[in-house]
Amino acid sequence: MNVRIKDLRYDYRNFSLHVQNLRFESAQVTSIVGPNGAGKTTLLKCVGAILSVAEGSLFIDGRDMAGLPPVERAKLIAYVPQEHSLAFNYAVQDFVLMGRAAYIPIFSTPSDADIRIALEALEYVGLRRYASRPYFELSSGERRLVLIARALAQKSDILILDEPTSFLDPKHETELLNLVKRLAAEKKKTVLVTLHDLDMAAEYSDVMIFMKKGGIVACGRPDDILTESLLETVYEIKMNIIRHDGRRFIVK
Amino acid sequence: MSRKQRALSLAVWLFPLIAFILSLSIGVVHIPPSAVFRSLLSPIIPSLKKGLEDFLPIVLAIRLPRLLLALMAGASLSVSGASLQALSKNPLVNEYILGISSGAAFGASLSIVFLGRSFPPQISAFLFAVIAVLLVLFFSRNSNSPIVSLLLTGIIVSAFFSALLSLVEFFASPYTLQGLFYWLMGNLGWPGWKDLSVSLPLMAVGTAGLILMRWRMNVLSMSEEEAKSLGVNIGAEKLLVIFLATLATSAVTSVAGIVGWVGLIVPHLVRMMFGVDNRRVIPLSAALGAGYLLLADDLARGLASSFEIPVGIFTSLIGIPFFIILLKKSRKIWL
Repeated sequence: MNVRIKDLRYDYRNFSLHVQNLRFESAQVTSIVGPNGAGKTTLLKCVGAILSVAEGSLFIDGRDMAGLPPVERAKLIAYVPQEHSLAFNYAVQDFVLMGRAAYIPIFSTPSDADIRIALEALEYVGLRRYASRPYFELSSGERRLVLIARALAQKSDILILDEPTSFLDPKHETELLNLVKRLAAEKKKTVLVTLHDLDMAAEYSDVMIFMKKGGIVACGRPDDILTESLLETVYEIKMNIIRHDGRRFIVK
Repeated sequence: MSRKQRALSLAVWLFPLIAFILSLSIGVVHIPPSAVFRSLLSPIIPSLKKGLEDFLPIVLAIRLPRLLLALMAGASLSVSGASLQALSKNPLVNEYILGISSGAAFGASLSIVFLGRSFPPQISAFLFAVIAVLLVLFFSRNSNSPIVSLLLTGIIVSAFFSALLSLVEFFASPYTLQGLFYWLMGNLGWPGWKDLSVSLPLMAVGTAGLILMRWRMNVLSMSEEEAKSLGVNIGAEKLLVIFLATLATSAVTSVAGIVGWVGLIVPHLVRMMFGVDNRRVIPLSAALGAGYLLLADDLARGLASSFEIPVGIFTSLIGIPFFIILLKKSRKIWL
């Protein structure tokens, strides 16, 4: 499924997001980068319908998302939040099962099929063995994976991840981004992700979007758009791109 | 569920049943369990009535309505408590803290004093309970420390409705006042079949609706943003839970006054035994709550032979220390 944005506006206090034209394609990882306060999370929340957008500004496979009821939207888009607090210590499996909410009527309980889907999602992120563990016993890296598993249980074609790698050590960061890449490649999902680490973003994304002050500065394949002058425009500091052994390093 | 938990859940389900039979036989007049059974069956099988003439009115007209009320009130308060805890993402919330009890108490008193005993107080109790809980949720939203803010707002709104209640009491005749006073302390001894015929169905509807929503309660205990992205119509479903919980709780308050803290203790005990999954917490809270209030009421009517102590005093005396312990421990358990 593809996502198309057309003249999307969102105003909040003295911040204003305005995106003229943007497309996200299926089976691709699109990363959004830019300085703090550039509007990355706001854009994600608009696409993820956490924030409501005006009619005629957001389309999925040509279908206008404004006014679509939450239950229909949740079958199309899954959103993995950056910050997350939990009042009750659910078992991992019960937590992932909540991804099925859009398919289960309000006065009903999950079926065996729903439970199977939740366990498959856990299997996919490699945490099947933790199914009956309490959520609070997991490390922060494992919790991210469980959040992704819950999003997978939603069986949506579009997956949105807000800063999935923040506070992760290099090993878990790499593992998580490999998983994200697999989701696009194997499950043909349209993946939209915000990242802070430019090296990682350039290495793992099919398309990169640079944002600044609520607008899009550049959008395209990393090899095509990533230049030192672009980085300086976006971040307002001097950065060098060094190529070594066929790899690219961005050095402040 | 482990095997131990399965056995434990069977025990929790049997608890109100056994307590019910035992409670029918104890009281000022002791009735042997066999006579209790025969009395219960006598409306269906008239031949059993023989030799039961002394016991029949006590069992059917005095004890049965009271015990039914205790069972249903205990289940209603516990299920409402568990649901409101899930909804407000706060395991320390109960109908008392959310202002439901004081709103309902004010509403019922207002109705009794100004509209008389023949007009059902449930309507006004429900109305003001809804107003109270909506005020609490409205004033405590968008706070940086939601738990503290909710508790404080609850205290303030409860205090407001208590003041209004005092105003109503001020206008009540001495005779009505005495009745109000005794009723407000939490008392299961007042109702006849007429009061119950209004309140029991309301409790049943509220409780049954919440039990049906037991899994949904897990999803509703997520942050609003998450619940929304999972496909929940958060505004409508939140209101539905508040509606059902308030319906059940205010129906209890209208006939039994303020029976506090049941909605806090019971779901907690269930979570300690069975974990936090509401698919188990909510139905088991109904069973444990029913039995718990029945036993508390046995205590209330059994401790002294010449008078009865209001059951609400017992539930508060047990509940408040329990709440303080939980508040102390909560940081370790939930945060």
